[in-house]
Amino acid sequence: MRDTSKLDTAASVGEAAPSVPRRWFLGAAAGAAWSSLTIINKAQAAGPLRVLAWPGYDEKPVVGEFEDTHKVKVEFKNYIGGEQMLQYYSQVPKGTFDAIISDAEYVQKFVAQNALTPLKKADFPNLKDFHPKYQDFAPLRAPNDMTWGIGTRFSFYGISFNAKHVSDEEASSWNNLFMPKFKNKIVMFDWYLPNMSNASLALFPNNPAPYDISDGQLAQVKDWLIKLRPQITSFAPQNQGLVSALVNEDAIITPYGDMDIEMTVAGYNNFKTVVPKEGSIRWTEAACLCADSRNKELALQWIAYMSSAKVQSRLVYTKGFKARAPNMKVVEHWDDEQKKLMSYVPDPANPGRMLVETNIDKSSPRGLPVKQAEAAWQAIYNQFKSA
Amino acid sequence: MADAALACGAVAEPARGPWALRAVSIAVPVAYTAAFFLVPLAFFVVLGFWRVQDYQVVPGFSLENYRDIAGHILAQSNYGIAIVQSFYVSATTALCAVAFCYPLVLAIVYTVPGRLQRLVLLFAVAPFWTSYILRVFAWQILLARRGIINTAAASLGWDWMEQGWLNTQVATRIGLVHYLAPVLVIILYVSVSSIDRTLIEAARELGASRLQAFRRVIWPLSRVGITVSLSFATIIGFGDVLSGSLLGGGAGRSIVGAVPLFSNMIMSDYASSTNLPRTCALAMILVLILACILVAGLRAAERAQRAVA
Repeated sequence: MRDTSKLDTAASVGEAAPSVPRRWFLGAAAGAAWSSLTIINKAQAAGPLRVLAWPGYDEKPVVGEFEDTHKVKVEFKNYIGGEQMLQYYSQVPKGTFDAIISDAEYVQKFVAQNALTPLKKADFPNLKDFHPKYQDFAPLRAPNDMTWGIGTRFSFYGISFNAKHVSDEEASSWNNLFMPKFKNKIVMFDWYLPNMSNASLALFPNNPAPYDISDGQLAQVKDWLIKLRPQITSFAPQNQGLVSALVNEDAIITPYGDMDIEMTVAGYNNFKTVVPKEGSIRWTEAACLCADSRNKELALQWIAYMSSAKVQSRLVYTKGFKARAPNMKVVEHWDDEQKKLMSYVPDPANPGRMLVETNIDKSSPRGLPVKQAEAAWQAIYNQFKSA
Repeated sequence: MADAALACGAVAEPARGPWALRAVSIAVPVAYTAAFFLVPLAFFVVLGFWRVQDYQVVPGFSLENYRDIAGHILAQSNYGIAIVQSFYVSATTALCAVAFCYPLVLAIVYTVPGRLQRLVLLFAVAPFWTSYILRVFAWQILLARRGIINTAAASLGWDWMEQGWLNTQVATRIGLVHYLAPVLVIILYVSVSSIDRTLIEAARELGASRLQAFRRVIWPLSRVGITVSLSFATIIGFGDVLSGSLLGGGAGRSIVGAVPLFSNMIMSDYASSTNLPRTCALAMILVLILACILVAGLRAAERAQRAVA
């Protein structure tokens, strides 16, 4: 039985509104706060396949071949954050989108709204080339050995550091961030979710579910963060702030990860990234099929297309953004320099494995708080920033 | 009768022109204010009473957002400390900005020949035509630990001068002063240039020194402009996000502590939760504080005006 009440709320609220002012405000709210509506309407008229996605999927080298092969136009509505994605989705009529690129932790929120159709793994032969953890990725598991989505890209929130000032050993543990040499030398990405879960891992190492912690453990996470506060020089709301702080040595270390790639691309070769021994958080995006899609067959073909090594090798290696691909055969489409930059090279410590595989094993998928409200975690994060 | 009508018409006709002009003159600013201030404000007020349920905005009248925020003023999210930080940073920024701009304006008005004043004024407000965000990024490059200022100091052997200015509220103030200066220069120029020079000449002829003429004539007659500038700068500084985020490091240190500005907290909360009604409620608190600053500024300006009169 499908619960459509939540999906219908936006429309029903407007119909039930008792007064003209409320209707007016509702209309104004929809128009001004979510201007996406007009964009989406345009998309409905122009393209047969409509996708709600993070930036990057709409780039020509990524989607062009699909459009040429199928003689269709794929219209993207981009978002920049899981909460924003859910709001976009909730504010538009059913059937607006055929597919969604969702962060893995938000997939269950869509599932709770009956917004997704589970996928048969057999329909995606490229899955056999995925890393084993992404062939059966826990946050995407659906009943009957099906999956709610196919992984498209991921990466790690490890520790990135300036190797001129920080040794590999010093960066090997979250708890080393308390070292006196890092006082006022850490730059943080300004988002509660990865920072608090990495703190959770620092306290409860290698926990496969660092978001599933008790109130007592959460209190310890808060104390850990507040103790760390004097070490932090700045909070950056976007990558530019992290890069600037590292380049100018206002900071020499960051619990954000992947900055070695950013800095190498920018021409600085003295930066490294490690997944600490306690583990780190790993974010993942997945392509999902909308239950109300008007073009399911084409959407399925697009998801299958996105699972291929060739497409993922382009998706995770765009000019503006780099990430990792669940399909391990991307290496067949990269040169040696690209493989090295993206860690798809042999891990000296684990013969027969690539460095990226070791890091996948050491990291846990990013999730949402399980035993507490998200607002409670956000309040702790605010308290930490003000401490 | 016809003559009377004609007479009435004759009388009414000349009056219609000014009446229509007055109506248009009033309607344009009223429409502008309504479109760009009152309607968005009403939008904020109403949305602040709505709620988010299952990622959908639910219309209604609920004080839940305000109750929740009240619980976070002095605990948990500590909005109260962020408000104190914002007030401290914006008030001191306003003082710095006026202290920087007022002498500049005095120099323009009293030392630059009249025919060149507009040109000099143009140079003074030139930064206004460059992007604010580009100016902020430029200050990042200047103030960073390995930035231009510290590098230049180091190359001269002045290592004692090397400071980490970036990610402090000092850097926030520098960005804000740069942002505010062009507008303050205009406000102060209008105020100072309108001072009747015969009063200054009279003071000088009666034996007042330059300093005395400044203290007894120019300064009192500038106070309205200075008061307006201070309140304007405080209001803009209180609501600004960019300098606090990109130069202040999101939670730069000041004597209040390493605490974010209130405006930065609003942005950060919205980015984390995308809860528009709660963000509107937070923004309404910001608007109320700004309104209080505005009222205080206007009253101070009135007092200064009365003192002059």
